[in-house]
Amino acid sequence: MIFYGSLILWAITVAFGPYDITQGISSKLLYVHVPTVWIAYLGYSLTFVYSLLYLFKKEPKYDALALSNAKSGVLFTITTLLAGSAWGKATWGTWWVWGDARLNLTAILLLVYLGYLVSRSFSDDLGKTAKNSSFIGIFGIIQLPILHFSVIWWRSVHQQASILSQETASTGSAPMSSDILTTLLVSVLLVTLVHFSLLKKFRKTADKLWDDYLNPKNRVKI
Amino acid sequence: MNKNFIFIFLGIILISFATVRIASNNTIFYYTTSEAAENVNLSDSERLKLGGFVVNETISKTSTEETRFKVTDGNLEIVIIFDGYIPELFQEEMGVILDGYFKNEIFYSDDMLVKHDNEYISEDGQTYDVENFTK
Repeated sequence: MIFYGSLILWAITVAFGPYDITQGISSKLLYVHVPTVWIAYLGYSLTFVYSLLYLFKKEPKYDALALSNAKSGVLFTITTLLAGSAWGKATWGTWWVWGDARLNLTAILLLVYLGYLVSRSFSDDLGKTAKNSSFIGIFGIIQLPILHFSVIWWRSVHQQASILSQETASTGSAPMSSDILTTLLVSVLLVTLVHFSLLKKFRKTADKLWDDYLNPKNRVKI
Repeated sequence: MNKNFIFIFLGIILISFATVRIASNNTIFYYTTSEAAENVNLSDSERLKLGGFVVNETISKTSTEETRFKVTDGNLEIVIIFDGYIPELFQEEMGVILDGYFKNEIFYSDDMLVKHDNEYISEDGQTYDVENFTK
């Protein structure tokens, strides 16, 4: 309910939201590209926290939460790459720029967390798998600060951050019209809701796997 | 604390160190016009990427394929002869990144990227005070 509700509201927000007059309609991709990547960051940060907790406490619920957050993070990373690519075609004139650090690092970020998901099926022993995967979940976090500062460290095509930047923090206002900013923040809120309702769904699957692993006798015979 | 903790700690130090080393190499994707004048032989050069802002009232279509304009970084203007796909957003004062080579102080290019900044101004939304954002 919350899942579809937020998705529909988000679609409406994007459809009727204001856009940049220079870039035209394509700049509405801002409401897809930016919130999804922020929530992907959130997902991966939570994967980091829960992986760490699992490693030290070995409680299945932490592993289930780490896995669910990584799944949702991967979905949002794919979305942000697709939206960003389309936006790049409209604004820069190309789908992808190979020399751009921000673009390449985002692709690597996706690969690392796809690796995390794939690593879950390396062994039938869920306890072992969860431990090994948690290392990927922990080390993966290092990419986030690098990715965030990549537009400052490496000069390239991708624009600088508008909201999460030092200028915005020190002046207190973002370089965008207030109606665009409001629409963006509403989108962020809606995508956050989508994330947490996805978590609930993924958590159910993960808990079931752990239940099967811990209590093989309860397993439903087919 | 235990073996896991030491392993994680060492790993994080190693990766942070590597990142700082890579970042401090100051990798650049394109030259500004002044940098190009300093580092590149303008009469005959290898292929390179040149970035700058399109100068007002310098765009002229000289033939069906060729467009001439100037780009600047605020200090130095360079004449561009461009034949290639022109992105829709190409216009005066827009930032562009061009791929091409220098010949007799003219930059010949056939590949253009439009570099949009991080400002978003809507049609009926009030504009913000631009002065606040210039250093």
